[in-house]
Parts: sequence; structure tokens; C-alpha cells
Amino acid sequence: MVKIILLAVISLTFLNASSFEENCLNCHGNDFKFNMMMKKYTQKYSSEKRIKEAIFDYLKEPTSEKSVLPYEYINRFGTKEKTTLDDKTLREMIDVYYDRFNLRSKIY
Amino acid sequence: MYKSEKQTIFYVLGLYLSSTLLLIATLFATYYFYKQDELMHAEKEILKEYSSALEDKLLFVHENSDEKYEYPRFENFNSAIYDIDKNLIFSKLDAKIDNLDKDFFFKGSNSYYISSLKPHYLGAAYSVVEKKRKPIDILNDLIITALIIITITIITSFFLVKLVLRPLRDNLRLLDNFIKETTHELNTPITTILANIETLDSKNCDEKSMRKLQRIKTASTTISNLYQDLVYLLLNHQISSQNEELNLSEILNQRVHYFSQAANIKKLNLHVAVKENVFFNADRQKMERLIDNILSNAIKYTGKSTTIKVVLTQHALSISDEGKGMSQDEISTIFQRYRRFDKTQGGFGIGYSIIKSIIDEYGIKINIESELDKGTKVTLTW
Repeated sequence: MVKIILLAVISLTFLNASSFEENCLNCHGNDFKFNMMMKKYTQKYSSEKRIKEAIFDYLKEPTSEKSVLPYEYINRFGTKEKTTLDDKTLREMIDVYYDRFNLRSKIY
Repeated sequence: MYKSEKQTIFYVLGLYLSSTLLLIATLFATYYFYKQDELMHAEKEILKEYSSALEDKLLFVHENSDEKYEYPRFENFNSAIYDIDKNLIFSKLDAKIDNLDKDFFFKGSNSYYISSLKPHYLGAAYSVVEKKRKPIDILNDLIITALIIITITIITSFFLVKLVLRPLRDNLRLLDNFIKETTHELNTPITTILANIETLDSKNCDEKSMRKLQRIKTASTTISNLYQDLVYLLLNHQISSQNEELNLSEILNQRVHYFSQAANIKKLNLHVAVKENVFFNADRQKMERLIDNILSNAIKYTGKSTTIKVVLTQHALSISDEGKGMSQDEISTIFQRYRRFDKTQGGFGIGYSIIKSIIDEYGIKINIESELDKGTKVTLTW
């Protein structure tokens, strides 16, 4: 039973990870400053819950006010387009993003 | 020093000391709380500086690291950071902090300062800094200083009170000396009068002169009695008791005889029931003072043509009259010196004061039963 649960969790993780590749990295590519974005979100929203909520909120309805990037950057490149992902998938992607790049787990 | 003088010194000293000590205590308490507040403020300022240093380091780490973030460590203090939802991010503290609402507090031997941070470098919305608490040990020094001041106050106040009361004491001593000298001067004339009346040949006197002579004799006896009381009171603390085995029956009969003249003038019926050969170990003079005072009081305060009963048994002496009696309040204060209930009668109000001092010396118990307008019965038991 334990083996089955463990297997399910691992496969789900890989599944999510591969979804992340597909849904995020596909467009952003590996050169995208994921670290920098997480730093910006952490600096502004502090806790995991608030960070995830802010990312979700922005991706659903991107505006220059909601963006954590500097005004000059937004002014030049504009805001990104709305996400095409459904809410559930989007939240899962944000969870993967947070798990990979959050600052808290990297403090030693 | 008189008892009343001691009492006055005690009261004045008590009042002065309690008010002074209250003032000292208030001053010291105020100083203590002020000093404690000052020390706490200083401690808080140090922690604020530490907190600021931590914030600078957090900014540096946040901006200059990418893959791993080394949490800032300091020699002087420990720290921790919490996110905006008060979840712990990282801690190097000795203790666990549950409440982030108070900005400064003590816990165990440490002091803590909590400050809120914005922007949230490394996600930190609150920082907690912890340092070893600087001991606030001014209390011991304060107690020692207070004790020294209190001791000096007690000593100076004692001399101050003595100084203030000196004029009063001098006046009392003057009065005392005056009474002593006057009493001494009274001795010779009283003795002369009494001795000469005794030796007068009553056969040569007519009845009228005889009655006058008896009155003079009674008056002289009263003065003599007063004189004896005053001498006893004034010299009481100077003479030691010459105790011997006394035949109380004989002494009582003598004293009754001594007062019989005074009783006759008031037409009193003296009912005397004395058990023979009752012995008691005491000073003769003091026993005479004791009996004389009770007996003379009974004669003095009883009405005309009434009965005075004098009963002596092996272990008790009771003298009762049919006078105006006393209330319970009067009985309770009867032993105070100069206490007089009936100002129409002569005397200084020192009789019961003398009685009390003698019965206390010999362990004699006294019981005073009295009813207003019925009479008084004084019983001595031993």
C-alpha cells in the first residue's frame, strides 16, 4: 500500500514537472529569470500563501499595477498576456514554481 | 522617666518615623522604577541597533545571492525572521517566540526586540533579535542605602524627640520636686498635731470641745493618710521592699481602729469579721497602704449611717460599702493615676494607682464588684 502511494506521489511530481516544462518553459525558456521573479515576489508579498495568490492573480489578469517588475520595464515591454491555463492547472504550475524557486528553502 | 513621658516619646517617635519612612519609601520606590525604566530603555536602544544591523544584512544577502542564501549571524546577538503571516522563516534564537505583538520584552535571562520589516528581504516581515539580558541589580544597592538612611533617621529622630520634649520634662521634674518638698514639709506639722491630740487629757475638756477635738483628729488622720500616699508614690521606686511574715489580722484591726474615728463622724456601722492569725509575707508599710486606701475609699464614698463590712479569711480580704457605686466604665479606668470619679470628695485620685502597684508586686488578685447607688465590694485574694 505504502509503495503504491509513494509511486503515485512520485509519478504525480514528475507529471507536474513535465507539465511545468510544457506550460511555462515552453514560452519562457531556460533563460527566463525565474529566480529574480521569485525574489521580487518574496520581497513584496513575504509569505508562501500571499506569493502564490499574487502570482495567480497577476497571471489571470495581468496589469502594470499588479506587476512586481519596475515601471520602466513594463512601460517598455508591456505586461504579459492573460494565461490560457485553467485555474486548477495554473495553481499546480504556481506550486511547482514556488517549490523550485522559493527563497525560504534556500536559506542556510 | 515617667510612664506617660515614655508613652509620649513613643507616640511622637512613631508618628514622626512612620511619616518619614513613608516618604523615604516613596522616594526610593520612585527612583527604583525610574532607574529600571531607564535601564530598560537603554537595553531597548541596543536591541534596536542590532535589529537595524540585521536588516542591512538581510538586504545584502537578498540582493547578492541567487542559489543559496546565507542567513546573517552576529557575535553579540541571535536573531530570527518571520513572514507576514507570522510563520517562522529562519531562527538562531535560544527560545521559541509565540507572540510577535510586543516590541520589547524579557524572557528568561534574555531580552528581545521585535521589529516589522518592509520590504520583506528573504520574505522577512518581522525580525526578532535576542541578547543576554543586562542584569538590573540596583535593588540591592538601593536597599542598603535605604537601610543606612533609615538608621540615621531613627537615631536623629530619637534625639529630636528628646530635644522637643525637654521643656515638658523639665516642667514635670520641677513640679515633682515641688510636690516632694511640700510633702516633706507637711510631715512635721501633721505628726505634731496627731501626737498632741493623742496626749490631750480628755477629762479636762467639756463635751463640745471634745467633739471639736475629735473632728480635728479625723481631719489630721485624713491629711496623714494623704501624706503617706504621696510619700509612697513619690518614693516608691527608690525604696526596696522589707518583706517579712506579717500578721495580717493584727494589722487589719489596727487600721480599722485608726479609721474608726472617721467612721464615727459619718455614723457608720463598721462590721468587722477578722479571722485570727492570718499571715502574709510582705512589706508592712505597703500592706498598710493597701488596706488604708481601700478602707478610706469605702468610708469616703459611702453614705451616712450605712454599714461597712470588713471580712478577712485565710486567703481573702473583702471590704464593702453601701455608697453610690461605680459603673463598669469607671471600674475599667479605676487604676489610672489621678482618676477621680467624684470631685466633691477630697483626694488626688492616686489611691487605686497605689493599690495596683502593691497587688501587682505581691501577686494579689483584686475583684471589684459595684452597682450604682447600691455600693462597692472590693475583694483581694491570694
